[in-house]
Amino acid sequence: MPVWLREHSWRQTLTAVYLSLPLRGARASPSSIFCSEQYLKVSIPPFLFEAVLYAPIDDTNSTAKIGNGNIFFTLYKKEPAMWDSLTLANTDKEKLQYLRENAVLKAQEKAKEETEARKITKQEHKKYALEATMKVEEAERKRIEDLKEKERQKVVKELELWKNQQKHGDKYKSIQKKGELYQEIEPLKERKNEKMNKTRIPNEGTSKTRLKSTKGSCSIFSQNLKEEQLPAPRAAATIKVNFTPRVFPTALRESRVAEEEEWLHKQAEARRIINSDLSELEDLKEEEKNPDWLKDKGNKMFAMGDYLGAVNAYNLAVRLNNSLPLLYLNRAACHLKLRNLHKAIEDSSKALELLTPPVPDNENARVKAHVRRGTAFCQLELYTEGLQDYEAALKIDPRNKNIEKDAEKIRHLIQGTMQIS
Amino acid sequence: MSAIVGAERPQVVSHVQQALSYTVFDCKWVPRSARLLCLGSAARGTGIVQLYELHGARLELLREIEKPKPIKCGTFGATSLQQRYLATGDFDGNLNIWNLEAPEIPVYSVKGHKEIINSIDGVGGLGIGEGAPEIVTGSRDGTVKVWDPRQNDTPVASMEPVQGESKRDCWTVAFGNAYNQEERVVCAGYDNGDIKLFDLKTMSLRWETNIKNGVCSVEFDRKDINMNKLVATSLEGKFHVFDLRTQHPTKGFASVSEKAQKSTIWQVRHLPQNRDIFMTSGGSGSLHLWKYEYPAQRSKKDSEGSEMGVAGSVSLLQNVTLSTQPISSLDWSPDKKGLCVCGAFDQTVRVLIVTKLNKI
Repeated sequence: MPVWLREHSWRQTLTAVYLSLPLRGARASPSSIFCSEQYLKVSIPPFLFEAVLYAPIDDTNSTAKIGNGNIFFTLYKKEPAMWDSLTLANTDKEKLQYLRENAVLKAQEKAKEETEARKITKQEHKKYALEATMKVEEAERKRIEDLKEKERQKVVKELELWKNQQKHGDKYKSIQKKGELYQEIEPLKERKNEKMNKTRIPNEGTSKTRLKSTKGSCSIFSQNLKEEQLPAPRAAATIKVNFTPRVFPTALRESRVAEEEEWLHKQAEARRIINSDLSELEDLKEEEKNPDWLKDKGNKMFAMGDYLGAVNAYNLAVRLNNSLPLLYLNRAACHLKLRNLHKAIEDSSKALELLTPPVPDNENARVKAHVRRGTAFCQLELYTEGLQDYEAALKIDPRNKNIEKDAEKIRHLIQGTMQIS
Repeated sequence: MSAIVGAERPQVVSHVQQALSYTVFDCKWVPRSARLLCLGSAARGTGIVQLYELHGARLELLREIEKPKPIKCGTFGATSLQQRYLATGDFDGNLNIWNLEAPEIPVYSVKGHKEIINSIDGVGGLGIGEGAPEIVTGSRDGTVKVWDPRQNDTPVASMEPVQGESKRDCWTVAFGNAYNQEERVVCAGYDNGDIKLFDLKTMSLRWETNIKNGVCSVEFDRKDINMNKLVATSLEGKFHVFDLRTQHPTKGFASVSEKAQKSTIWQVRHLPQNRDIFMTSGGSGSLHLWKYEYPAQRSKKDSEGSEMGVAGSVSLLQNVTLSTQPISSLDWSPDKKGLCVCGAFDQTVRVLIVTKLNKI
């Protein structure tokens, strides 16, 4: 239960109410005062003072002064009138509650409004700053544009001047041309024949000078004479041309040269493979050129025990397509049976190489490759390498009992030899 | 070799931009006028020739001519100044010479090649140089043919692949060395990086090399002088400048190469008024203006005592990006220094003015 502060004193004028509230030693801060239009509360635990005011006040302009152990409120009335008392009489609990809640809500709304107003002013300030910078930049740009424009206009004027000169020149020339054309056609023909005879003289040089010296006032004459001076059309001839060889029909670009080289290289590879078979094995049937068919054939022969035949089949298949890992894998198995241990190791290694990246799909194949290589190593008495392969196989497939057993055996063997040595 | 200060650098000013309703493959100034031609291909598969006149800040369309086959390239190089006939190569391999006043029937027409004519050049006209007017065309069928407008149906020179050899597309051709009546040289660039120099006086191959990237454009710095420099541009943003004054018996011509940008360099054009300045246009829609500086000594003796050329250096004067699509054609105006037109694959043609070229 709070302690109510009741020893307040107040006086009023027409427009304001002055309320003095002694605090009995409690320390007050701005946050302990809560005021809304018709409700005033001071809460300094455990002290509490609240008042439902007689009439609404203007809570934004009203002030509270904290000091000297009491709070002095200056409340400006909304409507200038004399109050009968500070607080409203007949306030029951419910009404009080309602008023309190209302007051709180109103205060919250006010706070929200204030923050929004602040935001808006901030934005406006920003906008203003932006506009100012834009104006400055605009001015700069305009200055440069103006310079350019001035330059352009100067140049345009010159152009117009020149153009007018041209036009006058043209007009004059065309008039002259027309006039002279009509007048001089007949005598022109005559003179032409004369000149023709003169040009037959062998020494072209002197004839030229002679023609020049007889140039008349008419410009057309000199033109036609010039025509006679032109050499005859050249004797037709052909020059044969060799081009720098280029395979592609597209234009040559330096940046594409590397790509093109690679492409050509691959084409050459493919052609080489096909050609090498074609030359030796022309009598092979169509299916025998298919690596998959050959692989199946090899598998069948392996199953029947014809290991050499299987190896041959796999060899041919590899020549046709050297990037199928299963071919090497199966060939390794054949070599194992044939006790070509080094070849078995090579083939299983190649198979493993081709089986990268290690994914669940090629787990089986990889296990087999490791096992075969491991077997080959052991048979060569390279037990440590063999163990490594078996352990790799176990890693891929931990549940295979056979591999585990074999691995154990090898470990024992190694330990045995170590003990001996 | 003075360094060019920032404020003194030539500026490329975009003067007029004209949107077209067709793909423009070539644009050319009409000599002695402020008119320009745009050649291209309409969406419906026909060829378009449009004649524009420069009026203040816009281009006015004077005339539009439609032809049955799309037109790839054109030149005024082989006509006289009075006639100003346009020679064009089209997608079907036809070489036609048109009188623009009466464009219904060509003045000269021949089905020169079996496939598209990629590039065309003319020499002997416009009062430049001496000798017979000739037109050279390079085609995708691997042949380069030289035509004389006075001789119908057969070329006066033909550079074809040896019998049985697989052909390479010829992407570009250029005339050069036409300093008197007899001398003439044709340079051809192919898609496998070959550059071949054919001498028309001796009808033989004078020099060849391979620049490791398809050759998009070749141009001599001037057609009508003793051959001086040749610029060859290629795919992958590289171009080579060859010094043609000294030919070594085995090493050929000296060259300097520069990688301007990552994309194809579609065209190179020398400024007609200054043969050491040229502009390259790129596949990224940019234009670069370059200046070539000669070395202290243009030739030196090598260990065996034969003359060898020394290449100079190339410096970038300015670059500007005008478009997002390749600028496929470029032409300087022969009459006004710094005025040029370029056509890009974004279906626009732009007239540009390059300032301060006098100060270089």
